[in-house]
Amino acid sequence: MASLRGLSRPARSLPLSQLSRQTFTAGSIRCASSQAAEAAAPVLNELEQSTLMAPQLSPEEKKEFRPWKRGADRKFQLPGGRYQFHPPKYQRGPLHPIQSPPSSDPVARDFVPGPFNLPRLKQTYHSTIAPDLMTLTYMHVPPGTPPKPAPERLRAWDGSSPYHKNRPLRGPMGNSALPLMERHINFRNIPEIKEVTLASYVPDAIKDPDHLLVARSVLLALTGTTPEITHTKSNVVQWGIKAGEKAGVKTTIYGNAAYEFLDRCVHMVFPRIKDWRGIRATTGDDSGNLSWGFTPEEIKLFPEVEVNYWLYPAKMVPGCRVYVKTSATSDRQARLLLQAFGVPFYGTVRD
Amino acid sequence: MSSSLRSFGGLASRLLARPTALTPSTAYAPTVQCLAPLTRAFSTTPRDLAPPGAKSKASGGKGGAAKNAKGGAKPQRKAKKGPEAPRDPKMISMLSQFAVLSPKRIPPPLRMGRNRYLRHWTIHRAWLLFRRREREARERNLMRQYQSMNAACEELRLTSGPGTREEGYLFRVAMEKKGVWGLNGIPIEYARAQTETPAKVAWNHDWKR
Repeated sequence: MASLRGLSRPARSLPLSQLSRQTFTAGSIRCASSQAAEAAAPVLNELEQSTLMAPQLSPEEKKEFRPWKRGADRKFQLPGGRYQFHPPKYQRGPLHPIQSPPSSDPVARDFVPGPFNLPRLKQTYHSTIAPDLMTLTYMHVPPGTPPKPAPERLRAWDGSSPYHKNRPLRGPMGNSALPLMERHINFRNIPEIKEVTLASYVPDAIKDPDHLLVARSVLLALTGTTPEITHTKSNVVQWGIKAGEKAGVKTTIYGNAAYEFLDRCVHMVFPRIKDWRGIRATTGDDSGNLSWGFTPEEIKLFPEVEVNYWLYPAKMVPGCRVYVKTSATSDRQARLLLQAFGVPFYGTVRD
Repeated sequence: MSSSLRSFGGLASRLLARPTALTPSTAYAPTVQCLAPLTRAFSTTPRDLAPPGAKSKASGGKGGAAKNAKGGAKPQRKAKKGPEAPRDPKMISMLSQFAVLSPKRIPPPLRMGRNRYLRHWTIHRAWLLFRRREREARERNLMRQYQSMNAACEELRLTSGPGTREEGYLFRVAMEKKGVWGLNGIPIEYARAQTETPAKVAWNHDWKR
């Protein structure tokens, strides 16, 4: 399989992506700095704007060039060139005349510049994993096959009472939520990573709130986002918890950050865990979201925590749970996706 | 080493009266440097460790030092009354880290002149266009692959198999999907993220711990 990856495939020769095109060929020694300067020189020359390079104006052209005249003749006044617009601090509702600009607008308060990189896992996904998953799971339906009738998921009323008329259908039996139905993988529907949620339950924080601070800063280091504090849901006397106490932190990362986090897990943390068999194959919530956990010792293997390890009190570093949410509609599809990313699974499969 | 420890202890005693809430928005002194001058200028030595002639709070010169020495004894007595453990300096550094992230420190929105805004807008539209083209090229490629798979499977279904096999044998075998959904559906050797400088030997099968 590994040797197959190295071969050139027909798909490789296609004009795929400018971002993911490979610039490196085996046998050529690349000097990044000199090559970049050479390659960028003509492009930069075009971009370079210098009045010294502009052609000289002829006397006639100089006479024609009268911007003050144009300004005086203008019937309307141009809007001011300086800063005019203040984005509002608060959202006042969808019907209020004052609305925030979209977050893509650079003057918006929630504007985030970027992206500044293309995560290599994402690049691998788009160039290799997605077509391979589509090919691997392809199920052929001969043309002219009648479509399978969908099973009845919401139960109909039996009509024994006249009041059953026009009643909405009943929910599934024995399940408060309607489970997802698996969709076939086709070229429009290939599972991919949507977001990763990290959560940590710190019951010691009820006694000593410093635990909460350590958990927050550890998750901050892992994800780069400010974690929010979670509260206990229920009263359990034996565990010494009351409902509504601050006893945990959580945070969610999306898109590129999620891919980067998964990359770090797969390539830097998982291989360094001692006697690690993989992730239990029974994980999952039946709708394509897989999860696992890290113990405090395993948290310390993350490079962000490792380099600043002196920053945290050693006994207070928490473990955390990781929820990977994918666009897959069943656990087996999500497992296939994570296997392609390099996450090994062990144990019995529950589907 | 001992001097640095001393200074840390001094910091801890300055921060004894800490707020109980952990929210970063609490009015907390942002940096340690700002805290020290409130009590004694340019010194982080705790008062009990300071030499007797040292300047104490709000004293202008040396003449006032002896006068204020009596006043300086007051907080010492209070500290004895309620013994509190000095705060861990690690906690203090973490708190200052969150103080930086507090909503008070969010920078104001960018302000742009007309031309600069238009330049940014042009580049942004170009970036969106580029992304759209990339995505559509990707989708087109996937669709093309899917349709060729479809055509190949249809061909296979109508082909009588190798030797004396009946029609559609190879198609049925292909659609069995044996082992695809199992734990080894994708071998671990497959999971190699792309790099600019891939290894010469892709997978060392002889590796042993």
